[in-house]
Amino acid sequence: MRGWRWLVIVPYFLLATLPLCWLFLTSLKTQEAAISSTASLIPTTDENIAPGGLKFSATGDAYRKLATPHTGKAHAFFHYLFNSVIIGLLSALASVVLGTGCAYGFSRFRIAGTRDWLFFIFSTRFLPPLAVVVPVLMMYRLFDLPNTHLGLILLYTAFNLSLAVWLMKGFIDEIPRAYEEAALVDGYSPFQAFYKIILPHSATGMAVTAVFCLISAWNEYGFALALNNAEAVTVPVYFAGLQGNIQGIPWPQIAAGVLIFVVPIAVFTVLVRKHLLRGVTFGTIKQ
Amino acid sequence: MHVKDGVLKYGFVGPALIFLIAFNIFPLLYNIYLSFTDAELSGGLARFVGGRNYGVIFDDTRYGVALCTTGLFVVLAVAVELVLGFGLALALRGPFWGKSVVTTILLVPMMLSPAVMGLYWNFILNGHYGVVNQALAVLGLFQPQWLTDPDLKLLSILMIDIWMWTPFMMLIALAGLNAIPPHLYEAAALDRASNWTVFRRVTLPLCSPLLFLAVLLRTTDALKQFDLVMAVTGPNDRTTQTLSALLYQVMFRGYKIGLGSAYSLVILLLVIVLANVFIRYIASIQAKQGRDVA
Repeated sequence: MRGWRWLVIVPYFLLATLPLCWLFLTSLKTQEAAISSTASLIPTTDENIAPGGLKFSATGDAYRKLATPHTGKAHAFFHYLFNSVIIGLLSALASVVLGTGCAYGFSRFRIAGTRDWLFFIFSTRFLPPLAVVVPVLMMYRLFDLPNTHLGLILLYTAFNLSLAVWLMKGFIDEIPRAYEEAALVDGYSPFQAFYKIILPHSATGMAVTAVFCLISAWNEYGFALALNNAEAVTVPVYFAGLQGNIQGIPWPQIAAGVLIFVVPIAVFTVLVRKHLLRGVTFGTIKQ
Repeated sequence: MHVKDGVLKYGFVGPALIFLIAFNIFPLLYNIYLSFTDAELSGGLARFVGGRNYGVIFDDTRYGVALCTTGLFVVLAVAVELVLGFGLALALRGPFWGKSVVTTILLVPMMLSPAVMGLYWNFILNGHYGVVNQALAVLGLFQPQWLTDPDLKLLSILMIDIWMWTPFMMLIALAGLNAIPPHLYEAAALDRASNWTVFRRVTLPLCSPLLFLAVLLRTTDALKQFDLVMAVTGPNDRTTQTLSALLYQVMFRGYKIGLGSAYSLVILLLVIVLANVFIRYIASIQAKQGRDVA
């Protein structure tokens, strides 16, 4: 009876996934095959295939070339990937640590203006990066922070803190207060109650929050572009810089790099799929 | 635990708040100062120029054009994503074979980096070797120059945005649909209500609070549109220059920080108005949830 649903799902599913399949196919091609005006669709292991057909000979060259610096670039792709990993991981960690503490404070203590503070925190997410980046850049120049990993880590931590606080508050609010009260009766100090009761119970929440902070730092472009031109360049900025390259854009290499760059995110998406709704709505909707 | 926690509670919330103030309130105040000067990115002495920068904004047509481009982009992107996302959610509703796999795969595009995927879409939409135009050629259809035709550039950016963000609407719409109590449908069936009546009287009204939340979230996000514009046309294309792209052009290509700060304050004012609507709405939802629990 509900067969009509496939009339909607199948076409959209194809539209959504074909670009990603094409990404994979492109990463197996040579530059000539990738920018050929007759697209080939079927990878084969044959060496000699006449151009213009549906088949092409698959090669891992694009992946191998990622290890050597591209013309006009100081480093190879993996250098920038490493920057992304370091900056993403450390800023996610910092956001979760600060965010969990803050969320616990607002969840369990009476603090004057709690609602206003929470909405201030929320509102920081609305600011367009380009509208706040210049003062940050000026401030960073005083401390020699532009072009450093630390500079981006601090900025992403601040940027993701709103998400971390709101998500963690949702998770901590769900832990019954009776647990801590029992611990206090047993002679725990308030801080021990936090450390030994709340933290273990919010481990899932912290992991989920960390994943969302990591993804948003991983994908960020505006801040990274404005604050960096040399040392701490992340993958999105590196890729964008390959545009307008004199030798033509190396599409197979870009496809290979993009694939390596997005596969971890796709894996994380699957891992946190039960919490996606919470993550993208700042914990305002709970499933 | 309300006796000795005087200092402790500030120890919990303090660090995060100090961080946020340093990275948000300080830049805002500094922006206000800069907007009254002729500061340049290269440094050097900034002179006080009074309201001149603000005068420039109202004389310079670029700002008005960018505002319209952004507005058009936001309205079209959010509307199409809402309709498509809601339609998909309706189709995905109820149990069927492979549901969770299909749903999860559909959600992937919204988790990817817009800057990186935008660059990759240049490859797909390329007029000479792009796979989209090759497919259109095979079908014998007209092959538009997606990335170079001034009439189509904004549309191309829109398509990429829709590809990335329709799943977001779908996800929230699905949550809304799942929260509708089944007994309402049973009652409607007893009343022999038509499908259309059920949709209009039950499904839509009960979903609309969540859909509205999704629209607000997407709107605030789309207003910031920068990554895709940079990837597809660069910051200085008149047909696609959004507010953020204009800001980048003025500040990082033209080095005019004073003027850029004035621009960004006007944008911030817009965003703050919108954020207020948003926050009030969230507060009302939370108050409602609180009542339901109590």
